[in-house]
Formats: sequence, C-alpha cells, structure tokens
Amino acid sequence: MKHPVRRLKRGGVSYVKWGYIFIIPFFAAYLFFTLVPQLMTIYNSLFENYRDGLNQVGPNFVGLKNYKTLFSPDNSGSIGFLKYFGNTMILWILGAVPQILVALLLAVFFTSYRLRIKAQPFFKTVIYLPNLIMASAFSMLFFTLFSNVGPINQLIVQMGWADVKIDFFASTITVRGLIALMNFLMWFGNTTILLMAGIMGIDQSLFESATIDGAGPLQVFFKVTLPLLMPILIYVVITALIGGLQMFDVPQILTNGIGMPDRTSTTMVMYLNNYLSTSKNFGMAGAVSVVLFLVSAGLSVFVYGTLTKRSRED
Amino acid sequence: MAKAALLRSHRMAYVTLKNVKKIYPGKVVAVQDFNLEIRDKEFVVLVGPSGCGKSTTLRMIAGLEDITEGDLFIGEERMNDVAPKDRDIAMVFQNYALYPHMTVYENMAFALKLRRAPKAEIDKKVREAAEILDITSYLDRKPKALSGGQRQRVAIGRAIVREPQVFLMDEPLSNLDAKLRNQMRAEIIKLRHRIDTTFVYVTHDQTEAMTLGDRIVIMKDGFIQQIGTPQEVFNHPANVFVAGFIGSPQMNLFDAQLRKDDEKYFVEVAGASFALSERIAAKLRRDSEGEVIVGIRPEHIRICAQEGDDTMSAAVEVSEMMGSEIHLHLRAQDKEIVLRVNTTELPEAYRAGIPYGTQLHFTFPGDLLHLFDKESQKNLIGE
Amino acid sequence: MIQRKNAAGRIHLLVARVVVYTILIFLSALCLFSFYLLIVNASRSNAQLQAGFSLLPQGNFFTNLKNAWNDASINIPRGVLNSFLVAGLTAVLTTYFSALTAYGIHAYTFRGKKAVFTCIMAVMMIPPQVSAVGFVQLMTKLGMTNSFLPLILPGIAAPVVFFYMKQYLESVLPMEIVEAARCDGSSEFSTFNRIVLPIMKPALAVQLIFSFVASWNNYFIPALLLDKAEMKTVPIMIAQLRSADYSKFDMGKVYMFILLAILPVLIVYIFLSRSIIKGVTAGSVKG
Repeated sequence: MKHPVRRLKRGGVSYVKWGYIFIIPFFAAYLFFTLVPQLMTIYNSLFENYRDGLNQVGPNFVGLKNYKTLFSPDNSGSIGFLKYFGNTMILWILGAVPQILVALLLAVFFTSYRLRIKAQPFFKTVIYLPNLIMASAFSMLFFTLFSNVGPINQLIVQMGWADVKIDFFASTITVRGLIALMNFLMWFGNTTILLMAGIMGIDQSLFESATIDGAGPLQVFFKVTLPLLMPILIYVVITALIGGLQMFDVPQILTNGIGMPDRTSTTMVMYLNNYLSTSKNFGMAGAVSVVLFLVSAGLSVFVYGTLTKRSRED
Repeated sequence: MAKAALLRSHRMAYVTLKNVKKIYPGKVVAVQDFNLEIRDKEFVVLVGPSGCGKSTTLRMIAGLEDITEGDLFIGEERMNDVAPKDRDIAMVFQNYALYPHMTVYENMAFALKLRRAPKAEIDKKVREAAEILDITSYLDRKPKALSGGQRQRVAIGRAIVREPQVFLMDEPLSNLDAKLRNQMRAEIIKLRHRIDTTFVYVTHDQTEAMTLGDRIVIMKDGFIQQIGTPQEVFNHPANVFVAGFIGSPQMNLFDAQLRKDDEKYFVEVAGASFALSERIAAKLRRDSEGEVIVGIRPEHIRICAQEGDDTMSAAVEVSEMMGSEIHLHLRAQDKEIVLRVNTTELPEAYRAGIPYGTQLHFTFPGDLLHLFDKESQKNLIGE
Repeated sequence: MIQRKNAAGRIHLLVARVVVYTILIFLSALCLFSFYLLIVNASRSNAQLQAGFSLLPQGNFFTNLKNAWNDASINIPRGVLNSFLVAGLTAVLTTYFSALTAYGIHAYTFRGKKAVFTCIMAVMMIPPQVSAVGFVQLMTKLGMTNSFLPLILPGIAAPVVFFYMKQYLESVLPMEIVEAARCDGSSEFSTFNRIVLPIMKPALAVQLIFSFVASWNNYFIPALLLDKAEMKTVPIMIAQLRSADYSKFDMGKVYMFILLAILPVLIVYIFLSRSIIKGVTAGSVKG
C-alpha cells in the first residue's frame, strides 16, 4: 500500500529550462518597460514633435536637427545643453566633494581601534536618516525654512545677525548652496557606511603591522588605508556621479521647476522634464535623454569594470 | 525497529549501470565506460582520489546529473530521464544540506509532506528514525544549534524516513573530526543492518571503503580500476594503482627483474633475489623473463637477523611509534621502503622505536609478493 | 621617559576624542535640525509661525493634523493610501522577482547565462529618466496614464536588487540544499518558494524596505503619468504644495503635510534602522 504503482515521469533530469523560466519575468518586464521605451526615445529624438499653443507640430522626421538645437545657442546666447550640464555638474561637485571628504573622515573615525568611538549605532542611524527621507518633502521643508517669511530668516533677524532678511532664493550662490547642502546631508551618511565597510574589509593586521613599523595615524591613512580603499572609493565616486546626473527632485521642488535665479539651478533632468511635461516637445526631450543616456552608459562601463574586477579578485 | 523495516513492502532494488559515460560541457570527460551491477541490499562503496568521477557517478544515480551515454536501471526501470524525486532514492550529502530554516523534525518530515503522507504516519516515521539515530531530544532544534555529528545524524534521518529503495551517501563523514568519523562509521554499519536496503557510498578514504563495503569500486580518472570485495581488492589488486591505493601504509612498489631458473621464478630487486612461492608461480600469467613491478605490503616484510642472498639492507630514516606497532621508513640507495612491525615481535630494546641510522636486514616472503606488468601496470598473478 | 610618553599619548588620545566627538555631534545636529524644526513648526498655528522663531513646540499639533488631513485641495489621506498601495505592491514585486531571477541565474547552468548576467550588470546603472520619453508615450498609447500599473509592474525588473540577491545567494545557499530538496521530491518552483525564499529572509526584508522607501519617495515618473486628483501620490502632492501660492496657506498645515509625507518612512526607520544600515553595505559592494 505504501508504494502504489509508480507512474514514472520521464521529465528528464536536465534543469536547464528552469533557468530560463525563472528569468523570463525579469526580462519581459525589462523589455516592455525599459528597452522598448528606450528605443522609442531614441526614435523620437529624430523627429520634430511638439505642441505649439493648441497646435500639434509633427511628428516629422528631421534627422539630427534636435541634437543640433541642443548644442546651439538659444536666444539668450547660451548653449542650452552645456548650460544645464554645467549647472548639474556644479551642483553635484558642491555637494559631492564635502560629502566624500567628510564620509572618508567619519569612516576612519568609526573604524579606528584607537579612538573606539562610543554610540556608533546612534551616530550612524542619525547620519543615514536623511538618505531615506522623501527628497521632494525634504526640499519643500528647506524651502519653507529658508523662505523670506520662514524661521531661518526670523532667527537671523531676531538674533540680530543681519539687519534685513536674506532672500535665499534670489542669488545663485545661496540657491546652489542650499541644493548642495541638501545633497550633502542626504548622501554623506550613505557614503560613510560604504567606506566603513571598505575599510573593515581591509586586513586588520596591515594597520597593526604599519603601526608597529612606526607609522603615525596620518601615514597609516595615506600609505595603507587610502591605497587599499581606492577601488571602493572609485566605485563610490562614480556611482555618486551617475546619481548626480539624475539630480531632479531637490532643485525641482526647491525652485518650483524654474531653476531660479535665471535658470542657474536648472539641471539636465529638469530640462528634460520641462520638455516632457510643459511643452510636450518629445523630439527635444528624446535628444536630451539620448545624450544623458550616453553619458551615464559611459560612466557605467567604469562601474562595471570596477565591480567585475573586484569579483574576479575575490 | 528492525521489524518495522522487514514489514514494509520491498521491491528488488538492484541498480545497474551499463556503459555509462559523463561528459561535462567543454568536453571534460568525468566518467567513462562505467559498468556495474549492484545487487539488492548490497553495500557498494565507490572510492578513489578526488576527481576520479566517483561523486559524478553517484549523482547520476541520484538524477542530479544527466547521463551523457549509457543506461541506468533501478530494478527493472530505465531511469536515465526520471527526475530524482521519482527514482525512490535518498541521498546524504557531504555538507549535510539541512534546510536551515526548518527544525530537525521539519527537515525529516519535508519529503513525506511533499508526498502528502498523512500527519500521523509522518509523525510515526520521523520519531522512529529519530530514535534509531538517537536524536529524539533535538527534534525541535534548528540545524544551526547542532554539532557536526548531530547534523550528520539528522541528514541520515532525513534519508531514512523516506524508506528509499536506494540509499546514496556522498562522503558523509569527511566533514567530521577523526574521532567522530570512526564513531559514525560504526553507526553506519549498525544502521545498515537495521534498515536493510541498497547502499551506494562514495568516499576518498580507503579505510571507510574497506570497513563499510560489501564490494568496493575503485576509480581513477573516470575509469573503474577494480570491482571486488574488500578482501579481493586487498589481496589481489588488479593493477599498480589499486595496490597503492588500498592498504595503509601503502604497499611498497619497486622496479624489478623477473628471472626464471630451473622452473623456479625469482624476483631481483636492488641486488637481492626473492624466490616466488610455487602457489604464485603456478598462477603467473606470463613465463618470459623481464622487467616487472614488484609489490609487498609493509606488514609482510620480515626482518632477518643475518644478511643473505634473499635479504636487502637499509638504514632506518624514520621510526613512527603507533602504539602496538611501529612504522619504519628505511632507505636503501634511492628506494624508500616502509615496514610495519608489531612491537611485541621486536627485541625489548627496540620496542620504543628504532634509532635513526640503524641498519636492518629484511626479506620479502615469496608467497606474499605482488607482481605487475611494467607496461600495462596490470597484475601478473592470476586469481 | 616611557611614562612621560605614555602620559603624552593619553592626552593626545583625549584631545583626538574630543575633536572627533565634536565633529560627530555637529554633523548629527545638522542632520536632525531641519526635522526638529519641522516637528516644532508642525505644532504651531499660522499666527504663531508668523510671529517669530521658536525652538519649542506649541500646542497646535492636532489642530494642524486635523486641518491637513481634511484639506479640500490636497487630499492627503488619499495620497497616503495611493502611495502605500503603489509602494507596497512595488516592494513585493521587486523583492520576489529579483530573488527569483537571481536564483534562476545562481542555481541553473544554461546557455547564455553569462551573457544574461553581464547584460543585467550593464544596465544596472542606467537611470530610468533616460527612457522616460518613450515610457510616457507608450503608456499614453496603451491608455495607462492615471493607472498604478505602470508604476508597479516595472518593479519586476530591478537590476540593483537582483545584484544584491545574487550576492546574497552566493554567500548563503550551497547547491546541495537544492539537490537535497530535489531528492526529497520538491519541484523546482516549490524548492524556490519553500526552501530558498525562507533562507533568503534577511535579504528579502532589507530589500522590501529599500524598495518600499524608493517607491514611496519616487516623484519623477509618477508626476508624468498621474494627473487625476484621486490618483496622485504623496510626492506629487508635495510638489503641488510648492507650486501653490504658499503665502495664502496656513503654514502650520504646510509643515504638517511635509511631516505626514515623511512619517511612514521615519517610523519604519526608527524600528529597523539597524538592519537597514546593515543592508546598505551588503547591497553595493562586498567589503
């Protein structure tokens, strides 16, 4: 009874097909939601296709005209693409340089066996917190805090630090500074944690032997920690750069999409968004996307290189 | 419990492999020309150095690897294309492969649950198996909370509850320390008597093979070297490889000359000449003189008081005191020779070990020699 | 001599510690200050807010909460509900299918496997914005604007989460366990669901949280697809708040909106910060 007549299933013992079955959903979703749209984007970039008031213009095939427009001076005399690419880079550098330096410093502090920092979980929790906060809400918060009637200006006047209110949103320096500050706050905790893991991945005995060999803390940092941390540091910098190219939520909400003053805080993706949502200029939006894609793809090759090099070394 | 095992319906579980071949992608040949008939309730051990194809063979029987060429039968059924779950086999893995998120009980019950066995039956079988293996008190623990030996028992228990036709074990003891390994080896022998089914066991350890197997299959580079009972492979190794692989310390092997003189055969090694016994000479597969390889087990070399035509001399290089016996490593010119001597057979002064450099004379008894062809490496003495 | 060196070393260490803790406390304060002001201001009435700066909370928290919750133009309860729906489903899909894909590549050998892996790695860093033009067009053509599906379904293909799962599988799942399950009679699909997924629980938890947070905070794509009031998610409402003439607004209510937008993530973080922080490292580069 325990063994009823068996029906032997000749299913085979090859499991190859299951590998394909399990990855199908991923590739189907990728194909439909990313690859096809990507190709459509490239296709679009070759067409004139926008709304002019109530009239729809195009789509008409125009070859590379959209790219040409992208790289030629507009009526204010500046080359649109270069201006917004420049803005994006300036905003990114202002935030990323302090972000990486501070993160490097904190990572060394946290991993130092001499300093033995207490309450590490608390500090890490606090500095990582802004990373999870909704960027648009964080940005809205900064807008209300730093607006003309906001508490920061109230504080400045009440404490007598300045005679008149500072209009943070009137000057390029303060707007860019605020965006950089927010980016810094949102990302330095994350970077610290990544670099810490990198330092802890270095064989501890190397630090010990360097110390015994007579190296001071600074020498240990520059001669041992930094060179060995390089691959991770490069990974962190490039992923941060790719993230920086996508900068959108913070400046968009802070400046209400206009990149004030005088579009000096308009980023590439804000520029793309303006074509997409305001003027419905799919041709130009496509051209901006393709250029953005090429830049990110180039950078991704670097990341892929560092990642695969690491896994080969493992 | 033995009764329970007897009561269950049993089909004849012989396993037959016919001309089985395994080629991995990239044209790596893992197993070639594998022919073996495993009888019902037999305990067969596949043994060989790493990379010899023994595990691959076991995994083909299990259905975890597909068979490139040849046929596999379990009972009357050709099993080549049958999924593991339908082969009625159970397997114990080297690293135990316990499901880490399940308790010991759940681990053992998993296969039965998948078969939709009634709860009461599952419970009965799991508890029976747990009792046999003495793990009843750990049933609620997770594998993480168990020692290596306990995990091993759970892995075996998981296989037992299935009451498989064929029980496959892939190096089940090699993750245990030496003491536990000996203990578990004895447990497996006991277990085998209790559950009385067909076993195929893979190991690289010749001691395990000798002590556990009804028959041993010795493999090298994907080819079977010899199939036989422990006694057969020990007393009559098919070739030089088997001679060296089975037995510890391993058999001494030397290049030698076979000479015939007055119907008597002699083996000449490094100036000494040993006469073959009549029993061996009668079974000799060739009668020409010439180059051979001669083999003698360390325990068969006899120390002599005096030098003679049939003795060799060598100096002691290493003397390993094992307790009841001493292993001596001697060096004569370019040859290393290992001797195994019972301490009780040694003079009082030598029982703690023999000093470095001591010259010993010894002889090879003519009835205990092994002769191999220099070219083919095959045993020259018929069975 | 040695004693003097010892003492000097101790003083040196003490100074170093004071400096380090000062830096840490300053940075922590910088991180918390804006959120502290947010909570304080969310508890003040519009009049109190106009009157001047305060570091102490006042008693209007629940009034503001009630006003914000019942606001006519910004339907925040609806937004929270929508965001929960989108983020929750996205998180589940992303986590499940990333694990499934990672397992498919980890556990099976098939032709083109390496190419597949390389492919996923290559597209990992491509930002979603660069295909937005085609995405919006395609969804518009299919009549899927003002639907949550185009926000949820793309989650099935999440290269970064896939990469995390793949690395996790490599470290926790010996193939023998899968083979043992095969011998035990488990089908490939049930092995994944009943053996592999439970083993991956820690990774699943971390990625559920991360993908929930990412989706909750997502603004760019939803803003392009959702324009019906009852479909809007929280970030879109925040943007709406920004573009409204804020001077006419009850500022207490505005702060309360912002607080409500970040509160769910804040609560999750307070309870799970430890495992979240652990997940940050495991995700990107193996240390």
